[in-house]
Amino acid sequence: MYWILLILMAMIVFASRYLFLEPKLPLKLNDKVLRLLSYSAPAVLAAVIGPLVLIHDGELNLNPLNPYLVGAIAAIILMLLTRSTLITAILSMGLFLYIN
Amino acid sequence: MIPLIVAVLPWGILVGAYGVESGLSPVETQALSLVVFAGTSQLVAIGMLQAGAGVASILLTTLLITARHLLYSMAMRNQVKNLPLRWRTALGFLLTDELFVNSPQTQTFDKWYALGGGLSFYIAWNIATLAGIIAGASIPNLTTIGLDFAVVATFVAILIPMIKSASVFICVGVAMAISIYCEVQGIQAGLLIAIISGMISGYLIYSMKRKEL
Repeated sequence: MYWILLILMAMIVFASRYLFLEPKLPLKLNDKVLRLLSYSAPAVLAAVIGPLVLIHDGELNLNPLNPYLVGAIAAIILMLLTRSTLITAILSMGLFLYIN
Repeated sequence: MIPLIVAVLPWGILVGAYGVESGLSPVETQALSLVVFAGTSQLVAIGMLQAGAGVASILLTTLLITARHLLYSMAMRNQVKNLPLRWRTALGFLLTDELFVNSPQTQTFDKWYALGGGLSFYIAWNIATLAGIIAGASIPNLTTIGLDFAVVATFVAILIPMIKSASVFICVGVAMAISIYCEVQGIQAGLLIAIISGMISGYLIYSMKRKEL
């Protein structure tokens, strides 16, 4: 049973990743749609970050000392100052592990 | 790509440790990373299996969580659709959040760079899953020390340089707020709803500034 589930999950995930890469699919993307799609990357990142930072065990955590919130704010500041994704990622992870 | 590989490691360890902690065998846990290769879907499926959910409800949830990939394949369509089938299949299989946000949807798209990045994530993801399976058996509470912060750290670092206009700023704010709301309400399609809402908000702000509306 587990293996059937795994194969079906893999098929669903692959189908959603592949569908619009298929040239036989009759779909023309005009400039307006492409403009709309240009917002998908920042929207994805924001939508993933939000709940990870502010929701723990299913509940909203707005405590300013919430380590995820402190770490995320540190990452924003580090990125604005250093402009280096690698330095930002490593230093903010270090800070988080230290305070958590 | 390198910062994202750094982020994939703790996230993969979390999935590996969570799998064995939840009662899956090491082989079953590793197979999820090898075949499905989708972090969020894997974590949710493991949680639902542990809670005794049925196959149909796990598959429906997978569909809701993974539907955002439709947007990625649409955004990359013009760059990838004319490549041979083996390229489309490979890039499609490897098209994760991480690869998508690292691939320019413009003329500068490079299939070798995308393939190299995607394969790096795949290898790192599977090695990290294995490490999580091994470490999870000997280190208690590995899943509760906050390994998921790695995703926050790297995604913030990638997001900040993208915010170059008011429209992107609004897009980010809306996507984040709606995603948090949906998560609190337990809405499985929350990620997709939040992403689409953010995209539409950004697009509307852009159009208003251009007086196209």
